Amino acid sequence: MTATRPLPVPDEQSGPFWAAAAHHVLKVARCARCDVLSLPPDLVCPHCGSTDPKFTFTRISGDGAIRSWTVVRQAFLPGFDEDVPFMLVDVELAAQPGLRMIGRLLDGVEAGVGIGDAVVAGFEDLTPEVAVPAFRLAR
Amino acid sequence: MSGRFAASNQVAIVGYAQSQIRRNAGRALGSLAVDTARDAIRDAGLTVDQIDGFVSSSLLPSAAGRGVEDGVNIVSSNWLAQHLGATPRYAAGFDGIGQLPGSVVLGVNAVASGAADYVLVHRALHNPKGRYHGNPMREARGAQQWVAPQGFFGPLAMIALPYNEYLQRFGARRESMHGVVVEARKNGARIPWSFWHDRPLSAAEYLAAPTLFDPVCRYDCDIPVDGVAAFVLTSAERAKDLPHRPVYIAGYASAAPSRARLPLHWPLDDILDGGAAMARRLWAHAGIVAEDVDLPQVYDGFSPFVWFWLEVLGLCPVGEAHRFVANGGIDSDRDGSIPVLSGGGALGNGRMHGVPQMLECYLQLSQRAGDRQRTAAQLGLACHSSPHYGGAVVYSAEPY
Repeated sequence: MTATRPLPVPDEQSGPFWAAAAHHVLKVARCARCDVLSLPPDLVCPHCGSTDPKFTFTRISGDGAIRSWTVVRQAFLPGFDEDVPFMLVDVELAAQPGLRMIGRLLDGVEAGVGIGDAVVAGFEDLTPEVAVPAFRLAR
Repeated sequence: MSGRFAASNQVAIVGYAQSQIRRNAGRALGSLAVDTARDAIRDAGLTVDQIDGFVSSSLLPSAAGRGVEDGVNIVSSNWLAQHLGATPRYAAGFDGIGQLPGSVVLGVNAVASGAADYVLVHRALHNPKGRYHGNPMREARGAQQWVAPQGFFGPLAMIALPYNEYLQRFGARRESMHGVVVEARKNGARIPWSFWHDRPLSAAEYLAAPTLFDPVCRYDCDIPVDGVAAFVLTSAERAKDLPHRPVYIAGYASAAPSRARLPLHWPLDDILDGGAAMARRLWAHAGIVAEDVDLPQVYDGFSPFVWFWLEVLGLCPVGEAHRFVANGGIDSDRDGSIPVLSGGGALGNGRMHGVPQMLECYLQLSQRAGDRQRTAAQLGLACHSSPHYGGAVVYSAEPY
């Protein structure tokens, strides 16, 4: 049997993110004090400095634009050997200017991509309970 | 408040030692560090009992999640002082990024403040057995949960994203990077202690290499090595009584923390904006402008850093570094060029984390570079890490 990919271990802060992802829903932490989204959530809100940001996880569309990409041809983590080559995209999410997320582009490495290309959220089911956010081209 | 360093040119490098740089030294890193430290102290005309300060950074830059073992895969200042039998008044480790400039800053400040009279700065790098960045992680906890399950992991992915962002934004081609790598290897091939001694790289060899993380190929990455370097710092006043021509520390700067991001996510704007801000503080700290520096040594642990440093330092316009290099702008053998990799850098020596840059500044400005001596060099700059993450130190042949 081949090695399995690393699975996320939800913690006190990230639990709602992974619970939503399992249902193919993207939720991002919103600070209760300043209302600004953070990915990942931090101990201190990076926007208003609150040490008690009481993050709530807010559903966002997952629409975004590609800011960069790379094709991974050599895996440094277990479980990816059969996946290489695969494409990772650095996406600026439409939900908030400057909010960036990195994920796989599920269209494959032959998909022609360019800066600014529109993507939508997609999900990879790693186990029956765990899904990892990713992207697909919107076109 | 003036940005000028109050102790500018009051502390100097007075001696050094550099071990052979090898894939595997064939002996313990700690032993190599002790021998190299003794050589540096002797080179400075001093004895171990006179060394009352030790500074370093001991980070092992592997993503494999290995445990660290002092003396085995890292060497801390305390370990080194203990095994030299020294009794320092001051021993400190720098735990930020830009490890070598950060360590030099600790040492300079210790001498300038009187915390120590003679400070040994060292850096010991180890190439562990097994895959350097291969990580057996099965569970992604903490910060890694946001990226590792997606397959975004390790330094090659980290640099590939801003590198491609640069190519796309400025219409550059990855093939143009051969000018950086061939230049580094040309200069490294002339350096006897380099892992790449007598082994230059041709443009054809560079262009034939497959990509690993597009657009990065193996030759864009420095090679992990065993190697140790050590330098001795003291005051400009005490330096007058020592055998070698002192090289003065004129100023320094470290990058301010950039905004919170996903682990290893370095958008191009963070690099260029953060680097430019760091450069402004650097010039103010040393009391100079970019054009004054005749020996800038930029960091090249990944080749795109060379383009980024050229631009943030103002040595060429933003977005133009790829053309500047292609037109011979960094050719160390060409009159009028800016020899930013004359010391071979990391790509031409091995993964020595800022040492080749600092060593080239020291050797050239102290007139100790032998047949590689460049007569004109007066003001050097040694950079380390990414411009938005690391730091740089200005060195001067004469106090000013």
